Amino acid sequence: MPTIAQRERRFALMLLAPALVVLVLTTTAPLLYLLWMSLQRVDLSMPALSGFAGLDNFARMAGDPRFWASLWLTLIYTGATVVMQVFIGLLLALLVMQIPRGQGALRVAAILPIVLAPVVVGLFWRTFVLAPDFGIVDLVTRWLGLGSHNWLGDPRLALMSVIAIHTWQWTPFAFLVILASLAALPPDIYEAARIDRASAWQRFWRITLPLIRPAIVIVLIMRTMIALSAFAAIFAATGGGPGTATEILNLYAYRTSFSELNLGYGASLAVVLLAITLLISFAMFTLRKAR
Amino acid sequence: MKLRKAFITAAAAVILVVWSFPVLWALLTSFKTERDVLAYPPKLIFAPTLANYTDVLFGSASLLPNLWSSFIVASFATALAMLIAVPAAYALARLEFPAKQGTGFYVLATQMLPPVGLIIPYYLALQKLAALDTYSGLVVIYLTFSLPFAIWLMVSYFEDVPREMEEAALLDRAGRLRALWHVILPQVRGGIAVTTIFVFLNAWNEFLFAVVLGGNRVRTVTVAMFNFISVEQTLWAKLAAGAVLAMAPVILLGLLAQRHIVKGLTVGAVKGGGRR
Repeated sequence: MPTIAQRERRFALMLLAPALVVLVLTTTAPLLYLLWMSLQRVDLSMPALSGFAGLDNFARMAGDPRFWASLWLTLIYTGATVVMQVFIGLLLALLVMQIPRGQGALRVAAILPIVLAPVVVGLFWRTFVLAPDFGIVDLVTRWLGLGSHNWLGDPRLALMSVIAIHTWQWTPFAFLVILASLAALPPDIYEAARIDRASAWQRFWRITLPLIRPAIVIVLIMRTMIALSAFAAIFAATGGGPGTATEILNLYAYRTSFSELNLGYGASLAVVLLAITLLISFAMFTLRKAR
Repeated sequence: MKLRKAFITAAAAVILVVWSFPVLWALLTSFKTERDVLAYPPKLIFAPTLANYTDVLFGSASLLPNLWSSFIVASFATALAMLIAVPAAYALARLEFPAKQGTGFYVLATQMLPPVGLIIPYYLALQKLAALDTYSGLVVIYLTFSLPFAIWLMVSYFEDVPREMEEAALLDRAGRLRALWHVILPQVRGGIAVTTIFVFLNAWNEFLFAVVLGGNRVRTVTVAMFNFISVEQTLWAKLAAGAVLAMAPVILLGLLAQRHIVKGLTVGAVKGGGRR
């Protein structure tokens, strides 16, 4: 006769088994396969040369300026979008807390960018927002006398534009999470601070910010992860171009694998991306636990 | 003080416009003729037409098969994910078993893998199985992101169920499975509905897997939209009508689950990365 604990264990295993089998097959197994592939030479345009290559792909990467450029772009893209999302999101949430009515309308509007498919957002910006002579941004800059620009076609503007697209779509995320955290703060702390004649600035630094820090940290972590795996919006807006002006590591790995059909090198690029993602998430979670 | 309030209200109004602009603009443009679309300055008042919609739905490059593909893939992926995730989430939330922490962390970690890293193995695997451009292939691959998400969101709902409920059910000598089915599940009905909505939404919006692993037979609406612009770049009004059709389901679902969206967005992270 099995004990109660044993029965519970058996029941848990029964409930978990399907999920674990599926996750091992669809994430762990492909991951191992990816690691193995990154050590291979698999070039579909030159299949005769395929075979084990050891660390050749990674050695090639070290001397590949396009790789270093894409790595740099990844860091800029991730850093800029995350910082702007958190900063603007926080600012807007603080602002909206001040208005008694109309918060509901903003909460609804905030949902619109979030639920849209990134690929549709990228397309929309490429056409209706940023297209020269037609997009709304171009209309505004012409109206302001700043002239018409090829926002996505000019290598100097393209990176800024794709950063703006990502920031536009995901700032509402930061806004909603921080707003929820602000709304949950007990009002009586502020009363006490007001009696103590604390200035608005002091109230923010000493009371509000420490209390909503957990929410901000959550937003930081999640948005960093998402920015590191960003793909569809850039793919739709610029395809990584013009040239390689917006080619973050994701785009480079994709282009190498599926446009140039060099799957081995593409896999090794993906492995580097994976390593960076794990490293950053590990660092962030460690920092968070330390506090 | 009055000035300050006016400033804040004005700022809020600007944000409102900036966030809702694409949806409203696409909606507006979709009822214009191509000639009206190109008018400068943009027309806000014009004679509306439904021609773009009839064209996009029933014309030569109809989006209907793509909407259907998206619906099939997203529905089956969601149903399958929920079927597997709900029991797993219950075990993670309520049962004691060895390596429970590790299991929870594993589920969370699988969510962090960048899709671009997995797409090469998926492509080669589906090619070997002759499952490229099939519904079943894409549905299974969609589980990779649907399942961990669904598990973690459901865990948070199971944890809200008072423990006394299941203790009472177990004392009644009902089997564990029956207690789960008759007592616990009805308690998390709302959570199941919300999770279903978010999983469906994510699946509907997916692009990378669909464009690489799909093809002529299985072409989801996100892929079709992408192809649309490369083929017919200048047909703005038709593009807008297509975008409205692609956006409508997710906007409706998003508004339906509006109150739960913060929970849906931060799932997993709140728990401190599997520190349970």
